[in-house]
Amino acid sequence: MYAFIQRSALWIFLLVVAIVTVFPVAMALLGSFKTNAEIVGGASLLPQHWIGSNYADAWKQAHFSTFSWNSLFVSTATTIGTLIVTAAAAYAVDRFEFAGKKLYVGLQAATMFIAIGAVVLRPQFQLMVKLHLHTSLWGVILILISAHASIFFILLSFMNGIPKELDQAALMDGCNPFTTFWRIILPLLGPGLGVGALFTFRAAWNEYLLPFVFTMNSPKLQTLTVGLAGLRYGATAAAQTNLIMAGACLSILPLLLVYVLANRSFMQMTAGSLKG
Amino acid sequence: MRTMYRKHFAYSFIAPSLILTLVLGVYPIGWAIRYMFYDYKGYGQERFIGLENFTQLAHDSQFWESVFNTFVYAGGKLLLTLPLALILAVILNTKLRGRQLLRGIFFMPTIISSAVIAVVFFTIFNSYNGILNQFLLKYGVISQKVDWLGPDHAMLTTIIVAAWGAVGNYMLLFLAGLQNIPVDMYESSSLDGANKRQQFWYITLPMLGPVLQMVIMLAIITSLKGYESIMVLTEGGPVGKTEVMYLYVYKLFFPVSTASTVLDQQFGYGSAVGFVTALIVGAVTLVYTLMSRKLNRMY
Repeated sequence: MYAFIQRSALWIFLLVVAIVTVFPVAMALLGSFKTNAEIVGGASLLPQHWIGSNYADAWKQAHFSTFSWNSLFVSTATTIGTLIVTAAAAYAVDRFEFAGKKLYVGLQAATMFIAIGAVVLRPQFQLMVKLHLHTSLWGVILILISAHASIFFILLSFMNGIPKELDQAALMDGCNPFTTFWRIILPLLGPGLGVGALFTFRAAWNEYLLPFVFTMNSPKLQTLTVGLAGLRYGATAAAQTNLIMAGACLSILPLLLVYVLANRSFMQMTAGSLKG
Repeated sequence: MRTMYRKHFAYSFIAPSLILTLVLGVYPIGWAIRYMFYDYKGYGQERFIGLENFTQLAHDSQFWESVFNTFVYAGGKLLLTLPLALILAVILNTKLRGRQLLRGIFFMPTIISSAVIAVVFFTIFNSYNGILNQFLLKYGVISQKVDWLGPDHAMLTTIIVAAWGAVGNYMLLFLAGLQNIPVDMYESSSLDGANKRQQFWYITLPMLGPVLQMVIMLAIITSLKGYESIMVLTEGGPVGKTEVMYLYVYKLFFPVSTASTVLDQQFGYGSAVGFVTALIVGAVTLVYTLMSRKLNRMY
């Protein structure tokens, strides 16, 4: 009897936490199918009539088609760029001896721990203005790529697991370090690159401040996160909770899908990065 | 000759990373360190003023309020998230039915952007037509709307929103730590007659020590640093009640259209505030490290 009560209490606790966790997302999802009047007026969970027009409105009127494209562009470019930069650097650090190697690794480690926060945004912005990269999203992408230290360390540990004999053999066969990197190392680095891609893509997709700062004067370049937060400031925001919900779902669902598909490796790697 | 040749290769492989880090990571810090000593509004003349920014900072009550708020925010967030994350991790580390699904559910918030989380919670908590108020009114829990984002409750609301997004992450880190504890320790202790509670206090917690220390450290740094969701949820308002250090710094660098606090853009002063803020975060981390080391020795 006592065990039964204990077990029930445990499950009630777990269910309550689960409901609290799921509730906001479920609410956004359900709300995205309601009319605005229904969201504002009532507290029924399920929509009375399921309508899809919020998505059409968000997609067209609230420019979420542009936002989605921008988000996809920033995230994809950042992911590709980060992987190239970090894989090359990890290859050099793991396979070659060169002066200043320790300094370089120390520099990468330091960038992860110095928390100067909002200050660096300004000089980064000024720099991009000087390079004329502030009128496109390339400035944002370059800055996001530059924050690659954690991915570098992840790839470094994966690189460590690839036997060195392989590239020596390749060298014997007439490969130079570039072709060895391209033909031998990169294919073998697959799992590491996958994890790195997942992390980088998620970070870039979710980034708010950088694109916000860079697109203050050019709404056409806004990403999903920026456009969505903008809806809430908009003159008509109070009346458009339904659009906010649809927009939120547009920004959450793609990542949620990737996450469900890659659930296991996602969780394992996040946990694994602790052991480092 | 051969090593020379390989050296050149190494440098060319490392160049993109190094250049990006130097230009976009190191240079901005140098920029800030230089402007700490300047009076510069971002336009017009820049003027060297020595340590004047720091004397101004010492008397800036708005900044010190934001420091206070940051500690309330971080403290509240940690008190809410860490115990909950630990409990969930311990439960989900047992052979429970559906634990994979539950792990997935609890981890889900961490993949959503904190800005998006803030927007969704804004629709829940805002006082005018927020979903929470409508719900509570309908079921008669409250008789008039509660101003969740008003001066009285805004901080608590911000903390709850932050906690919602953070529990899953810490849970996962704790889970990873728990899985490294050998199962036979529990088996032999239960042979010796230890109950679940004793096992938790005498095996789980001590064995989890190093992980616990690291996670707490991580949690302290991220909660002192975080301002993105606050920026979207309340913009630091109302009347500066949820203003945190880095949000204050941000406002000195970028014009913010907000009803709560309108600051002048001031790059020099902002750099000084940013520097002191980073020092404060660093000092807290250092104090924590020293304290946890002492605790280590006591065990």
